[in-house]
Amino acid sequence: MTSADVLVDARDAARTYGRGPTAVVAVHGATFQVRAGDRTAVVGPSGSGKSTLLHLLAGLERPSGGRVSWPGLDTPSAESAPIHQIGVVFQGPSLIPALDVVENTALPLVLAGVPEGQAQRRAQASLHDLGIAGLARRLPEELSGGQAQRVAIARVLTQSPRLVLADEPSGHLDRATADHVIDVLISAVDMLGAALVVTTHDHAVARRLAIRREMHEGRLIAPHGTQGPQS
Amino acid sequence: MIITWAAGLIRRRSGRLAATALGIALAVALAAALGSFLTASKSTMTARAARSVAVDWQVEVQAGTDPATVLRSVRTSPGVRTALPVGFARTSGFQARAGGSVQSTGPGTALGMPDGYSSAFPQEIRQLTGTPAGVELAQQTAANLHAAPGDTVTITLPGAPETRVKVDGVVDLPQADSLFQKVGAPPQSQPTAPPDNVILLPAAAFSRLTGAAGATAVTTQIHVARNARLPSDPAAAYTAVTGAAHNLEVRSAGGALVGDNIGAALGAAREDALYAQILFLFLGAPGVTLAALLTAAVAGSGADRRRGEQALLRTRGLAPRKVGTLAVIEALLIGTAGGLLGLGLAAVAGRAAFGTASFGATATSAALWSGTAFALGLAVALLVVLVPAIRDLRAATVAQARRSVGRRDRSPLWMRYGLDIVMLAGSLLVFRASSGNNYALVLAPEGVASISVSYWAFLGPGLLWLGSALVLWRLTAFALRHGRGLLTRLARPLTGTLAGTAAAGINRRRRPLARSVVLFALALSFAASTATFNATYRQQAEADAQLTNGADVTVTEPPGAATGPEGASALAAVSGVHHVEPIQHRFAYVGSDLQDLYGVRPTSVGSVTALQDAYFAGDTAHDLMAALKARPDSLLVSAETVRDFQLAPGDLINLRLPYARTGALRTVPFHFAGVVKEFPTAPKDSFLVANAAYVAKSTGSAAVGAFLVDTGGTHQKQVGDRLRSQLGTTATVTDITRTRNAVGSSLTSVDLSGLTRIELFFAVLLAAGAGGIVLVLGLAERRRTFAITTVLGAGRRQVRGLMLSEAAVTAAGGLLGGALIGWALSQMLVKVLTGVFDPPPSAVAVPWAYLALTGGVALAAIASAALGSARSFSRPAVEELREL
Repeated sequence: MTSADVLVDARDAARTYGRGPTAVVAVHGATFQVRAGDRTAVVGPSGSGKSTLLHLLAGLERPSGGRVSWPGLDTPSAESAPIHQIGVVFQGPSLIPALDVVENTALPLVLAGVPEGQAQRRAQASLHDLGIAGLARRLPEELSGGQAQRVAIARVLTQSPRLVLADEPSGHLDRATADHVIDVLISAVDMLGAALVVTTHDHAVARRLAIRREMHEGRLIAPHGTQGPQS
Repeated sequence: MIITWAAGLIRRRSGRLAATALGIALAVALAAALGSFLTASKSTMTARAARSVAVDWQVEVQAGTDPATVLRSVRTSPGVRTALPVGFARTSGFQARAGGSVQSTGPGTALGMPDGYSSAFPQEIRQLTGTPAGVELAQQTAANLHAAPGDTVTITLPGAPETRVKVDGVVDLPQADSLFQKVGAPPQSQPTAPPDNVILLPAAAFSRLTGAAGATAVTTQIHVARNARLPSDPAAAYTAVTGAAHNLEVRSAGGALVGDNIGAALGAAREDALYAQILFLFLGAPGVTLAALLTAAVAGSGADRRRGEQALLRTRGLAPRKVGTLAVIEALLIGTAGGLLGLGLAAVAGRAAFGTASFGATATSAALWSGTAFALGLAVALLVVLVPAIRDLRAATVAQARRSVGRRDRSPLWMRYGLDIVMLAGSLLVFRASSGNNYALVLAPEGVASISVSYWAFLGPGLLWLGSALVLWRLTAFALRHGRGLLTRLARPLTGTLAGTAAAGINRRRRPLARSVVLFALALSFAASTATFNATYRQQAEADAQLTNGADVTVTEPPGAATGPEGASALAAVSGVHHVEPIQHRFAYVGSDLQDLYGVRPTSVGSVTALQDAYFAGDTAHDLMAALKARPDSLLVSAETVRDFQLAPGDLINLRLPYARTGALRTVPFHFAGVVKEFPTAPKDSFLVANAAYVAKSTGSAAVGAFLVDTGGTHQKQVGDRLRSQLGTTATVTDITRTRNAVGSSLTSVDLSGLTRIELFFAVLLAAGAGGIVLVLGLAERRRTFAITTVLGAGRRQVRGLMLSEAAVTAAGGLLGGALIGWALSQMLVKVLTGVFDPPPSAVAVPWAYLALTGGVALAAIASAALGSARSFSRPAVEELREL
């Protein structure tokens, strides 16, 4: 395995909110790597720092200590995250209310400068691949929670990223819907051939992924699974 | 729980609370400021009306009653400061010998003036030449007799021998109409004009003159100056004064009749006060309504969030009633903060504009209006916060409430039933009915204490305002729904490849955007219509002042002066003078009727004074001056003369004019060319306008009555002072700034300018608020949307482009709609409120500078809102997402 296979590399990455005595350490120096093709679950209770870790990996937040890099991805600069090569699925509603499903799905491409017509055709294809082409012209308000999450996954699929980060993608869904959403997520990632990191408090979801890392009070505490990452 | 909730609201929702409170503050400030100003304005109207009267009462002693008894009775009446007896005697005529010829006049009036009259009633007599307190000739009489101080005049009374007196001076009687009124007669029976020939004699000389005359030829009036404290409201003051006058008449048991000049002035003032009240409603109510709508829009921008919070509380088991109580707490919090802020704002505005926080009103009035405005603020807060909360509690289940929006293709009820079109049609109908020739907005019957306003007329502009707002809403929603292609093209310069997405977003957000557009347009139209109304009023007040004064500065030659048009060159040399125009003033007989004749130079008179088309009937000012030039013997006459003499265009009119060399009257032929209603320096009653060159040729004299001086519209007072010091007592110099303060018979410019100063100040704030605050709150409520867009890869420029495209829609729609509504509203307001203008305007005046300022401030507010919102997204998007 070469260094080019390491898509994201966090070294002692820490994130602290606030200053002085009221400062809250969300993530204590975490060292974490994601390689091409990895299927990783970060498991932990609410408030354990999973989402913050995911945001650090996505480059949405800068670490207060340590560093995060993306050696296997094309970054515009050493400091910037390769935002168009990382797909993020959020826990809560993440669709733009004023855009319909196709427009939402095509949005990352449009933002990246792809002509609108072409972006929408690729969005339609993604929706079709996930079996939700029938939702294309609906507005987000007209979707159920599970449907909305599937559209969010389709949006990631359209983006064709090499790394997919999902923050509690089934956190607010019932068991059956949650299972279905995870199925869709995994199949989408398979289609892309991308790496996947899922944060979850649900061990049933975590068990479906090859690598499991547990997080408690901001610390990654022990590796689980077939591939042994380092702490 | 309640304290925790209130504290949480203040901590976490401070921006929205502050913006809502600011909207309420504007409504409260506007209501408090306008109300206090109205009260103060009414009080100054009373004071001004009382000041304008030379003699408060003219108490006429009836035949058979002893004048001394009436005088005692008057002097002991409450509220009387000074009472002096004045004798009136009808004369057969006057005669004077001048330049070897004898001049005679028709019947006239001799007045017997007691000692100290001039100091007791200083506004009644104005000394023109000679010395006061002797035998004084009225200006026109002196002109008719060619008499000057030092000359001898013979007075003939019916049944008495001729009396010769030596003239000491020539005077002007500025309030001759009321001085020579027929006491006790209704207005329609009053003489149309004061007597042409008047001589004022000292009381002793008058007694000698009338000693031999019959009692019927002589009457006595007691002239009264009152010092009773008047109520500040003109209507109350009118009631008090007329009551006192009636009381005096009753106490004299038919021995005295009161000519109530101060009552008449207060009667006009109470009408003005009612007009002020109407203006307060016409111009102020839309402002307060707009501020309330703005508040509702601000509160409404947080409605989704509030609905979600409310639903959360209910799922946690809070009873609906308690949820309602929390909404009451929020409303009271906003209402109190907004109310207090508004009162502070009003006080600051009052101090800045009028030098007093209470706008000149008494402490009680100001407190009363402040209390009312504060209550209004609380009511608005309850309306915009509590009512929607209760509606949500009643209508929605928890699940429904948590769903913030849905696809609502169905149009609102008002749109489906065409309420907007119905309102516009209703407005047109009411307008047609209320702008008819015989329609009186304010009805103030003479001699009746109560006056009334036709509030029906308010419906026209009111329905136009609301109807056009709804039509704009309909059109905006339609355009945003069906014009997606056009929107994409228009958004491309701001959003680049995101144009289609931006257009899609705008298309789906058409309802809140249409609401923003309408609110912005209403704010702009409020500013535009108020400013246009104010500018038109000022234009007409200026026209009134120009009519009275003649031009920027007017130099009036004394009676009998022979200065010719060449005198203009000396005046033109004075610094600040742009142009000087001579105007002849003669007296001419039309049949047996003596009228003022003005000789003008038709090609140049319009260059120094504004000749409006409204001054003439049947033709334009330009065409009639052209007629005077083309045919020098043309004559413009008053409508009354046309009626009296059954004149048709081209008819021959023979005027009798004094010939310069002999002083004898000579017949000069003229031809009727048109009707003149008003003319600079001319009196309100009948007069004539002719070509100066023809008059000079026909009378052998080019003597000028007055020189109209153009100063370019600036420094009139300074130029007037320079001319005064140069001319000394050889001529009378009047400037328009002094005249402007003296005229203003109905609503004076002081009152309306104060009212509009308040309104224009708030209109700018409202326009900026409607454009900026509503947009910024709408964008703030969608921080999550923009944060997600950023997480998905949007750059700062792209987010800014999305925000600016919405701002551009609001700005373009609001400006266009506001301009159209403002134009229509201005036209209607000026027409409905015609009674306020004197003279009526022929066209509205548009204050472009103010409109540009308001538009500029509003656009700047919108641009700042969009750019400021975009800048606030400079923090990491994920932090935004975590907080939301």
